[in-house]
Amino acid sequence: MTFWVTVVAAGIATYLTRSLPLVVTLRGSAPEWLRSYLDALPIAIIAALAGAGIAVPDSQPTGGAEIGAAFVALAATAWRRNLLFAVVAGVAAVAALRAAGL
Amino acid sequence: MTPRRAAIAEGWPVLVTVVVVGIAFGLTARQAGLSVLETSATSVILFAGAAQFVMIDLLRTGAPAPFIVLAVLLLNARHLLMAAAVRPFVATASQIERAGLAYVLTDEAFAMGIGWFRRGHRDLTYFAVIGVLLWCFWNAGTLLGATFGAGVEEPQRFGIDFAITAVFVAIVAISVRHRGDAVVAAAAVLVAAGLRLAGASAVAVVAAGALAPLVAFGLRARRR
Repeated sequence: MTFWVTVVAAGIATYLTRSLPLVVTLRGSAPEWLRSYLDALPIAIIAALAGAGIAVPDSQPTGGAEIGAAFVALAATAWRRNLLFAVVAGVAAVAALRAAGL
Repeated sequence: MTPRRAAIAEGWPVLVTVVVVGIAFGLTARQAGLSVLETSATSVILFAGAAQFVMIDLLRTGAPAPFIVLAVLLLNARHLLMAAAVRPFVATASQIERAGLAYVLTDEAFAMGIGWFRRGHRDLTYFAVIGVLLWCFWNAGTLLGATFGAGVEEPQRFGIDFAITAVFVAIVAISVRHRGDAVVAAAAVLVAAGLRLAGASAVAVVAAGALAPLVAFGLRARRR
């Protein structure tokens, strides 16, 4: 029972974060500074997700494997500009580096 | 290429990754003691990868329900920022369409969708197709992992947990257009990593995502 109350409440909380800025309408147009802030926002959020995942991958601080693998994924993207190629390279690199004891 | 075709052609590497992470989630939830029904219900109701893993971890360690909901809320607060960034592109959509898009507004849908809008497109089909496909693949992965995954031990050994981080790294690298973007991205990576290492798990991404764009203002002010 507690599980279902928790998951439904967490689901509502999640949905509100996703829907409120889309559904609620504010009057007036955004000023210039706000528009350039919102323009830089997407890349900042995605980079923050990456940074958090690299620093603490599995509730333990990184031993260095994730940092190395992130650079491999970065280099793979620069080389081929192909998402799947970069992901496979990153995953293979992290597996190899972890196996090496990092 | 039609928006639908483009969504599938560009989105499939992300979809493959999402299935794999979904399987990992199904596995983890079952190992934490959830039933197959509870595991799948979590993926249907929350549809939020990182928050679901955190929720399972907190449930397993016996955290009280209000604390779990608060943690999920903080962790997903970043979606407030994403929805705000998507908002200009849904100006013509009806309230029902917006309510539907909000349900599928995940990190991955946001990253792919905003890339589409930034190339000058204004239709919502691409975003909607990516969102719905991600939902299907995430839930299929969850069900697979929950049903058949009992025999797999230590998925970390294969680096599968790193796949989603690698997706984010690659998307950032692809969407950097000029030096300002690269500086903002680097600032966000460092701030998020620093906060996460300092123990601020739930607020790290929100704070870093909200603060890093300010670096762009600093750059512009100096150029003037």
